[in-house]
Order: sequence, then C-alpha cells, then structure tokens
Amino acid sequence: MRIRTSGRARWRQVPVGVRDQTAEIVAARRGLEARLLAVFRRWGYEEVATPVLEYLDTFLHGAGPGVSDRLLKLIDTGGEVLALRPEMTVPLARFAATRLLPAGHAPVRLAYVAEVFRGQERGSGRMREFTQAGVELIGDGRLYADVEVIALAAEVLGVAGVGDAVISIGHAGFLRGVLSTLPAEAAEAARDVLYRRAFADLPGLAPAGPAREALRTLPTLRGDSALDRAGRLAAGAESRQALEALRAVLDGIEAHRHRVRVEVDLGLIRDFDYYSGVVFEAHGARGGMPLLGGGRYDGLLARFGHSAPATGFAIGLERMLDAAGVRGDRRRPVAVVFAQDAYPAAVGVTSRLREAGEAVVIAPEAPGIEDVACLVRVSADRLLVVAGDQEIETSDAEVTAAVEAAVGRAR
Amino acid sequence: MTALSIAIPTGRLQADAISLLEAVGLAAAEVGDDRRLLVDLPGGIRVLKAKPTDLLTYVERGTADVGVSGRDMILEQGRDVYELLDLRFGVCRAVLACPEDRAKVLWQPGRALRVATKYPRLTMRFFEEHERPVEIVVLSGSVELAPQVGLADGIVDLVMTGRTLRENRLREVAEIARSTARLVVNRGSLSRSAEVADFIARIERYLSRQRERSIHA
Repeated sequence: MRIRTSGRARWRQVPVGVRDQTAEIVAARRGLEARLLAVFRRWGYEEVATPVLEYLDTFLHGAGPGVSDRLLKLIDTGGEVLALRPEMTVPLARFAATRLLPAGHAPVRLAYVAEVFRGQERGSGRMREFTQAGVELIGDGRLYADVEVIALAAEVLGVAGVGDAVISIGHAGFLRGVLSTLPAEAAEAARDVLYRRAFADLPGLAPAGPAREALRTLPTLRGDSALDRAGRLAAGAESRQALEALRAVLDGIEAHRHRVRVEVDLGLIRDFDYYSGVVFEAHGARGGMPLLGGGRYDGLLARFGHSAPATGFAIGLERMLDAAGVRGDRRRPVAVVFAQDAYPAAVGVTSRLREAGEAVVIAPEAPGIEDVACLVRVSADRLLVVAGDQEIETSDAEVTAAVEAAVGRAR
Repeated sequence: MTALSIAIPTGRLQADAISLLEAVGLAAAEVGDDRRLLVDLPGGIRVLKAKPTDLLTYVERGTADVGVSGRDMILEQGRDVYELLDLRFGVCRAVLACPEDRAKVLWQPGRALRVATKYPRLTMRFFEEHERPVEIVVLSGSVELAPQVGLADGIVDLVMTGRTLRENRLREVAEIARSTARLVVNRGSLSRSAEVADFIARIERYLSRQRERSIHA
C-alpha cells in the first residue's frame, strides 16, 4: 500500500458532490424556500422536520433493498448502521405512521425543506448533497387529493419562476395492468428493462398482442391523444381503471386554470418503487432532470404499521433555481464610518438604523469599504449619507429617512 | 436558436450514425470529415461529436436532446436516459475470453479470477449473477494484452468478428451481453420538444421501412 505523504493536501478540497455556498447562492435558495413554504402554508400544509440521520433499516424497509447502494452510511457507536436521508417521503411516512396517524390526525398535510444525501457515482457530476422542498398529503385516497397536489405543483412552478415548465402525468397502475397479462417471467424481465428505461428492449419480451403493442408504444403514449390510444391497448382491468383515474384527474386540474402545461405521459416511471397510482414530474425548458416529481404511494404507510393512502411531491431546489435563473437579492449592508472621537455618535446612528431594519456594519473611516448600499459618514459635527456620487447632509433625527432614500436609489 | 441537438459517437459507430441522419433527411454528409466537434446543420439542428464513453453524459445532462450510443455503454454506465430505439447497426457482443490453453482452468471451482476490462460494472454484474468471485483490473483499451503478459487470467471486451481475439490467441468462454447502437433521449427533451418527437418518429419510420425491405429481400 502506498501511503499518501503530504504535498497534495486534501484539506483544501471538499469531498466529491458537495459544495460551499456563497451569500448570493444562499440568499437565492432561502428566498425560494420562503416563497415555497408560504405557498404550502396557504394550501394548509404545515412544515415539519425529521432527523438527517435514520437507521439504514428504515430506508430499506420503506424503499426496498435496492435503495441501499444509493445511500451514504455511517456506523453508529453501538455498531448500528445509520444512513443520511436520500429523500423525505420515507422518513415522513415513518413519522406519520408511527406518531401522527395513531394520534388520530387524518388527513395530515405536511411540508418540508430538507438537505438530502445520495451516494452518487463518482464522476457522474451529480450532487451528493442537495435540497428538497415538498409536501405529503397523507390519509386521503380520493382523486381530489391527487388533483390537489398536482395543482399545488403547478402553482409552485409559477411561484418559482418556471411557469414554462411542463408537468407530465402518468399512472403506475397502467403498466401494472399491462404486465399482469404477461407470463410472470416476461413481466419480471419487462420490469427490469423498464427500471433501466431501456424501452428499445421491450418489444422482444412479450408475445404478440395488445400488451406487447402497449409496451412497444409506451414511450410515445404521451400528449393529447395518449389516453385514447392507450385505451385501445389497455390490457387488464387495472390499466383501464388507471386511464379513467387519469381522465378524472386531468378534469380536476383543468378547474384550477393554471398557466402551466399538463400532459399525459404513460411512459413515466418514477425511481422509487413505492409509487402505486397517479405519478407526475415537471421538466423545465432546459436540462435533463425533472424539477419536481412525485405521486401516490398508498402502500408505503402500511409498511410502517399504519395503513393510509398518501400522495405528495418533492422539488429539487437547486435545479429549480438553475432553471429559473434566480439571483439572490442579497441585501448589501449600510456602512457607518466614523472619524476619530465620533465612535459614540456612530454607535447611536448604527443602533437606530438596525432597529429600523437595515443591515449595518460599522467601521472607522478608512479606504477599502466596498460592496455596501451606502455610506454614512459620522464625524463630531457632521452626518453625511453618501450613495454613489450623491451626498445628503442630514441630522441625527433624519438619518433613517436619508439612508432609506439613498439606499432606494442605490438598489 | 437550436431546435434539436444530436450527439453522435466518434469511433466505430460514427459512420453509421451519420448515414442514419442522412437517411432521415438531414444534410449530415460532411459531418464526418469535419474536424469540428460541434457542427450546425440547416434548420437549427446541431450535431455534437462526443467520445462514446462521454456521450451519455451529454444526453443525461440535456446538452444534447438525443444521441446514438452502443448498448454496451448504456449497460455499463447506467445513466438516467431513455433508451428508445434499437438502431440495429454496430452489432457486437461483450464476451469473457481467456488464453486458449487456460479455458478449462477458468471455470475451476474455488478459483478467483482476475479479469481485465473496460467494462467493470458489466463484468461485476456478470460474475455476481454467476456467483463467482472476481478481481477486476480496469484498463482503458487494448485489454487483449493483459492475459498474455500475466496481468489477468482473462478479459471482458467487445467482439465483432472475433479476429482480434484469434490474433491474440484468446478464446471466448461466455457471452455477457449483446449490443447494437441505440437511440437514447434526454428525459426532459422528450416531453417538451416537438422537434425531438418528430425526429424520433422519422427514425422509427425509417427503421420500419428498413425492416420491411429486409423481410421482402
């Protein structure tokens, strides 16, 4: 084994897939978070939080053994394996099933903003730490609930500044119905192929018939005529029920009159295997990965001991910010600079400005103060507000108004 | 404004990929001779020439809407793209091969094999399925050299005619995967772009015409 000796030090780097965030980036993210949480609150969703760490078992139990490869894990002091949460649906299902629902609350509307972690492949360029915001509507299995979360997703896209995004809606039951008409072995093979989204390999798996035709055309079963075309191929009762459900959901969404385009996509397959009904994703005008995604997962809560239907979605916050091109409106501070002996007067001015809500830094007069909204120069006999090439002579009493005027022009 | 960006792989699939673009009506004849990696065609169509190992990154990230990639790469990299159509050229197989005189030794129980390959994930999956221990040596090319000089017991590599194997006195022991060129599509492009849907439909029509011709021939 070659031991690394000094030289190329690792301490100046951060690990792959995580990054530092500048004030601009944090301001943009916090701004979006606040707007999203405000929308969630107006729709009756209350913000909750769960731990960043959970037992590995919780995620395996909720999302299946396949999720293990995608988790960042730690060994606890007692030897138990912990994992950093890769998403919030499983933790919230655990929380709701073990605590909220037994206490008699239902339905519950939960909202969150959370850092999540995934063990992405090295070199894939994907982040291992990122932020998700989202909602879960737990305890309501009616189609109105599906309509509600999709309509909320549409509103969220508008609020985030990506009103040109497209929401695709599919239904896990359509494919389940189609696969149920195949021999078990072929269905299993098809599931595996679909998990890889290798549509090109599908036609060879099924014997000729409507199921094969449905699988062959699956990726093209999208857009206005998709439901009609799929109706002719719907093998199995579950497929037909899925198409009816989608029709009803589309009608419901129509009533919300959102600007965001909503289209059917029966080839939509979500990554996590707990989805059971209506599923959806939103894509922006650029970029390959969905901005948000979610759907119905009626079986998940039962895995945690309290059966309840549920639906919800998660937004990729960083992707959303990228897509919207939002810059943070970072508030540059006002600088109070003081001449010798004027420190007490400067502190007085500073306190008053801070009470009025301004961000203020205070420093002795010296060259080099930059990136401020305006300067307040305090000397023993004079108070001067300087913004750009403009100077406003002011009094102690009027300094707040003068700063407001100057800052208003500068911003 | 680019209406449609298409990634084609450099190397063994490039010529066929360009012929395919021409067959569906794009003026792509000169793309192959052009040394530029980014070529704009009439009608807002942009062609990216990417290394086969990198191509899926461009499509996954949405910097290309569609691309042509070997199934071997798709299986190896497991990227989040839609693999929509089998283009039926670039036929080849990924095989496990070893020196002729060691073919028997290879399957002796209890023996931990050392295998050299450009396809570590594909190789690992194969040996996991066969419940065999394996040690993988990742090389970036000319893997046939490794068993001849004792770096590995065998190789996993693509074969088309089998000539390279023969000339290096290697013998195929097992087939690991069959590969052809595939049309891959970015997940987002598929739902937002009419040009992408139209391009895919044109290729589909071309493929079914071709299929009919081969049945009648």
